[in-house]
Amino acid sequence: MSPMLSNQSAMADIGRVGCLDLRYRRDGPRTILTASRCSTPWHFFPPAYLDDSGCAFTSLVNPSGGFVAGDHLSIHADLEEGAHVVMTTPSANRVYRSLGEASRQSVTLSVAPGAVIEWFPEVIIPFAGSRFTQTMAVTLGKGATALIWDSLASGRVARGERWAFTSLRNEIHLITASGARLLERYDVSPDRDSTGLGMLSAYDYVASFFVVSDAMDPARWPAVRDALAGILDSFGSDLLGGVTEPPAPGLAVKLVSRSPEALAAGQELLWEATRRAVLGLARPALRHY
Amino acid sequence: MLNTLSLLHGLRFIDSFFPSGGYAYSSGLEAAVQGGAVRTGDQLSHYVEQMFRHGVARREAVAVGIAHEALLRNDVHVALAIDHELHAMKLGQESRVASQQMGRQVVKIAAEPPSAHAVLRDFYAAMKTDRTPGHFPVVLGLTLADAGWDRGETIAAFCYQTAVGFVSAALKLLSMGQREGQHLLERWTPLFDECAKEATEATTMTSWSPVQDIYAMRHARLESRLFRS
Repeated sequence: MSPMLSNQSAMADIGRVGCLDLRYRRDGPRTILTASRCSTPWHFFPPAYLDDSGCAFTSLVNPSGGFVAGDHLSIHADLEEGAHVVMTTPSANRVYRSLGEASRQSVTLSVAPGAVIEWFPEVIIPFAGSRFTQTMAVTLGKGATALIWDSLASGRVARGERWAFTSLRNEIHLITASGARLLERYDVSPDRDSTGLGMLSAYDYVASFFVVSDAMDPARWPAVRDALAGILDSFGSDLLGGVTEPPAPGLAVKLVSRSPEALAAGQELLWEATRRAVLGLARPALRHY
Repeated sequence: MLNTLSLLHGLRFIDSFFPSGGYAYSSGLEAAVQGGAVRTGDQLSHYVEQMFRHGVARREAVAVGIAHEALLRNDVHVALAIDHELHAMKLGQESRVASQQMGRQVVKIAAEPPSAHAVLRDFYAAMKTDRTPGHFPVVLGLTLADAGWDRGETIAAFCYQTAVGFVSAALKLLSMGQREGQHLLERWTPLFDECAKEATEATTMTSWSPVQDIYAMRHARLESRLFRS
């Protein structure tokens, strides 16, 4: 069990416990959903096919618009061999103020050999006084590929609310078939850390982008790395980012941004370049309006 | 409290005379200087303080403490586990390689004497057979525990040595003299104490220093470089 979860093992009687379980299988050229189960507040939408790749585009819909105190929402997806799934959210993940209990989201993605998962949710917006814990575990079979995007806003920036949440804990763990691991884990409490929040005072958005695949020829990663670095450098002072080879086969990108526009443009360009290089596909239009 | 013999046994591993190779690394500071984020001693102080409070104290220093405890408990598996977890968390390629190279330099000498603790020797054997990455914080935690230093002293020594590395790099990168470097170390001393106390209690590694992490990642693409990280 994740250390973060064990720290909060005592679930209060408040909040909602919602589960979304999905299973996908490759059926000819298409990936189809073979089993699904969901409970409130999750709302199930069948996958869409936005291009001719056969990829199942799945929107993770929480009609309540966000997380309230004590919520524990979970997503579990199994991708069988050769399946290809994009998961996204229709809007930002808002985390509302809590006087006590944290809200939690647990994501487990099991990706069988040769399958592809692309995880591109909208940004997390932690409101002033909110408490949020997210854990994400991605297990990759041999030849499987994961593109994982995770982004965070400082708060409701338009109303001048910046870095005013109470606590935010986030853990993303990827493990490949060979046992290579990539782990990002942070625990931020602006009240406790009033000394500067790690030099973020000039920025309002932080994002991580992880691409892990043992299906790709390792000799090709440096060219992709250079392409992503070029994208990051093209933003000038609006965005600062870096790309590196993590301890698992692939690339890790970290970026901070001063504006939501730069964050969104950065995500689009990074996803586009990576998708073309790794999957040979163009970035899909997700139809977020 | 350290006795004199323990003090001397451990001191050489954190002394800048020890050939750990630390002088070759700037932990991303060189990229931050070239990127304009650090131009003065005050900016350097802020950059390093933030990195300690949100990064080093909560990740590497915690690994030091857990490794120290592993030796006292005579359990090499605890040291191996924290070494693997630290490896998974060190996303930046240059920083990861630097940490492993420094770990190798220290363990080769620390585990050499027949009197070295079995956990330290077993850990070195695991490194030699590629069963563990061998990161510097883990090796130093084991080494100073074997020398008889307590957990808080070991973590504080690690913090001090890391800070000396920043000052040493800054002397080459910034318009800054030895005296100002010493003033910075003096200013940071209470911070090392705080970090050691926090890390001694911690059982989970976390890290939140995105700006410093980004500069560490960007270092590999600098056109001219004095340092290897």
